[in-house]
Amino acid sequence: MEERQTENRRMFRRVIRRMVFANRGRLLVILLALGAGAAVTAALLNLEVDAKRRITSEFRSFGANVLIVPGPEAAAADSRAKETFDAAVYDQIPKHNGRDPVEKAALLYGVARASVESPPGNSSVKSGEPIVIVGYRYYGSDLSDFFGSAKVLEATALIPKDESEASKLSETLKRQTATGGPGSLGMAGCLAGEKLAVRLKIGAGQWLHLKANSLEAFCRIASVRSTGGPEDSQLFLGLDVAGRLLEKEGRLSTVAVRVPGDASRVNGFVHDLQASFTALRITPVRQFTENEAKLYGKISGVLTATVFLVLILTALCVMAAMTNIAAERKNDVGLMKAIGGSVGRVLRIFLAEAALLGLAAGLIGAATGMALSIGLGKAVFGVASEPRLVVYPVSVVLTVVVAILAAYPLRRLVNIRPASVFRGEE
Amino acid sequence: MFLRLVADNFARRPRRKLLTAAALSLGMAVATAALSVSLDVGDRLAKEFRSLGANLVVTPEADSLPLEIGGVDYRPATLGAFLPEADLPKIKTVFWRNNIMALAPVLEVEAQVSRASQKASPLSPHRAVVIGTWADHGLPLKDGSEFVTGIAKTNPWWKTEGRWFSDDAIECVVGTRWAEENGVKAGDTVSVSADGRSWMALRVSGVLTSGGAEDDAVIVPLRIAQRLAARPGQYRKLYVSALSKPEDDFARRDPKTMNPDELERWSCSPYVSSIAYSIRQVLPGSEVRVIRRVAEGEGRILTRVEMLLWLVTLAALLASGLAVGASSAASVIERRTEIGLMKALGAGSATVGFLLAIEQLLLALLGGGAGYALGLLLARFLGSRIFGEPPAPSLLVLGVVLVLAAGVTLAGSAMPLKRAANYDPAPILRGE
Repeated sequence: MEERQTENRRMFRRVIRRMVFANRGRLLVILLALGAGAAVTAALLNLEVDAKRRITSEFRSFGANVLIVPGPEAAAADSRAKETFDAAVYDQIPKHNGRDPVEKAALLYGVARASVESPPGNSSVKSGEPIVIVGYRYYGSDLSDFFGSAKVLEATALIPKDESEASKLSETLKRQTATGGPGSLGMAGCLAGEKLAVRLKIGAGQWLHLKANSLEAFCRIASVRSTGGPEDSQLFLGLDVAGRLLEKEGRLSTVAVRVPGDASRVNGFVHDLQASFTALRITPVRQFTENEAKLYGKISGVLTATVFLVLILTALCVMAAMTNIAAERKNDVGLMKAIGGSVGRVLRIFLAEAALLGLAAGLIGAATGMALSIGLGKAVFGVASEPRLVVYPVSVVLTVVVAILAAYPLRRLVNIRPASVFRGEE
Repeated sequence: MFLRLVADNFARRPRRKLLTAAALSLGMAVATAALSVSLDVGDRLAKEFRSLGANLVVTPEADSLPLEIGGVDYRPATLGAFLPEADLPKIKTVFWRNNIMALAPVLEVEAQVSRASQKASPLSPHRAVVIGTWADHGLPLKDGSEFVTGIAKTNPWWKTEGRWFSDDAIECVVGTRWAEENGVKAGDTVSVSADGRSWMALRVSGVLTSGGAEDDAVIVPLRIAQRLAARPGQYRKLYVSALSKPEDDFARRDPKTMNPDELERWSCSPYVSSIAYSIRQVLPGSEVRVIRRVAEGEGRILTRVEMLLWLVTLAALLASGLAVGASSAASVIERRTEIGLMKALGAGSATVGFLLAIEQLLLALLGGGAGYALGLLLARFLGSRIFGEPPAPSLLVLGVVLVLAAGVTLAGSAMPLKRAANYDPAPILRGE
């Protein structure tokens, strides 16, 4: 009994082997159809999983989405606290939200009078024009992106062009300090907005004289930037210098934060921050937080829908092609039945063949697809997409299922009469 | 005779042909759906991105530097330059007028505001920012129609509890924090005054939550702000929300450095910078700037998504092409006997090949047409589910799909046909 079973199994395997390799052309066609399906499935699934995360991180180019400003009761507690708060807050903001890094900028706003220093050291008494100066400190990956997707119009290295220029300037500063002139805070580099640069007629590399209250500072324009936002008429300089100039050392007007993630994660972050800084007001920038969620929904909707539509139709299409191929097996079925094969057995042989082909095509195709999606991810996002290992078995299993389903119409062939097949009748 | 052979073949084995055609039309449906969606998605998403608000801002060219901190301009209304409101309808005459979705002029004034009491004198007046703008203003155009626009359209994320003021009424909307601090709610009355002597009582029609500096302000119809600032018919800033195409390297070039051909190409593409340029032409004395924070982010994401969908489409085309090719290859392989018979009867390889090719082409046209219809239905379904509006059927897609169908069926049958040409009829007819 057992011997017969072993014998049966051996025969079964032999029949299948013969069937698979009997017709090379057919084999190639089947592997091509199934393999293409598997490759597309794997590539699209991998891209889909990866793209969603990448799209969320693309939203970072919108800049800050959470602002921290003084709360209403801060003003009453401390007159100096009016419109500013302690700079220590900046350092206490967590650097990560989950896995993703948080970007942040500490900002101190004030008004100073600016006049152009040219050539340096020739500062006669000028009243200057009032401008908004912004002291900033930034933690993150791209300063220009964070402040309104700024386009740098011109830039220069921060070190003064020639030695004499710098020494002349420091001479002036020393002299002024010695003669009891207004307190000087030395030199700094700064970033000018486009409108400000046009208005004051200055460019990168030139010196600006800033005066606020009784203090003054010199700054050299490191770059001129354009954002189309309020930054265009502001002058950005180091937080320390600005703090001293405005006599608000250790104080901040605003902390701008870019919190990564979807709306619920941003709101969670805001909630946690609000709990730890009760005196401050933490407000999500609704223009971005709300719309990001909405846009993300649309984008991932269109992506998911297209990918799944393509996957389903690809499966159907592969199935139709396979069925077409299977239908020509009439002779084989007729022969098997003529030599005494039972319906169940014949069907089993064909399904086993289909599964085997599906597995082979799936293994090769899905691997190709994964490799493809890594390259595609690089083409779209500039970063190779990480292969998700779960995608591979899923694609292989899907391919096997499609192959088996495609062989299923053979059931119809089981009803055929061997005699009519051999006579060549349809 | 030739036609009869072809017709006979279709009539005699309808089931077989149906299967091949089914594989074909499914494949072409994939191609059509994917193509339709990705052709359309740029425009659709660009429209969705307008919910981020204005991407252009117009200011007077000869303006003094704004002292803007936290979204509030601290310049007194006596300083700086202004633009005439009367010029605004001209914006809808520029080449890109149909891309201009919304606009809202803004005039900010610092004024005395207070909660009105029953008595004549207002309660504890204090200084607050009063923002004058349009809520839902009908802008009469030259052609006699009306363009309804306002801040509610340029800044769709602004939420009002209650309703927006109507532009000709003596009403206002108050920022949520201002309302909280002053105990004001919709239906109350607030008084505003520029000098603290003559007061104007405004009915509060709603409470605004913007998430920005406007939450601390009082928003009034532009006309009222103009009266407070003594600047009748003028505004200081104009927000424009325009549908645009993501900028590429060409768009980023300075139009001044382009030759006439390039300039024409540049101004005929709806780049946000060329729209800005055309607005600048019709508003004398203005400066139009691209709000890069919005425009850049939008451009970057749109480019990525479009590219992603093109890849998906390409993959879909590839997969459906291969499957269809496989299917037509199979349909040729199975007809070896027939080919043998034809050759035995004296048909040349070319004639046999031609006959089979015509058959496959016929099938490709039928299957491709059916697939296009099916794919269109799917694309419509997808489009209306996601964007609430189906994509317009495109003849271009039909053309691409038919060419593709013909191409892959022919390519799929080419290899077996070539082999069939070498068949020796005798062993085939013997059934070997």
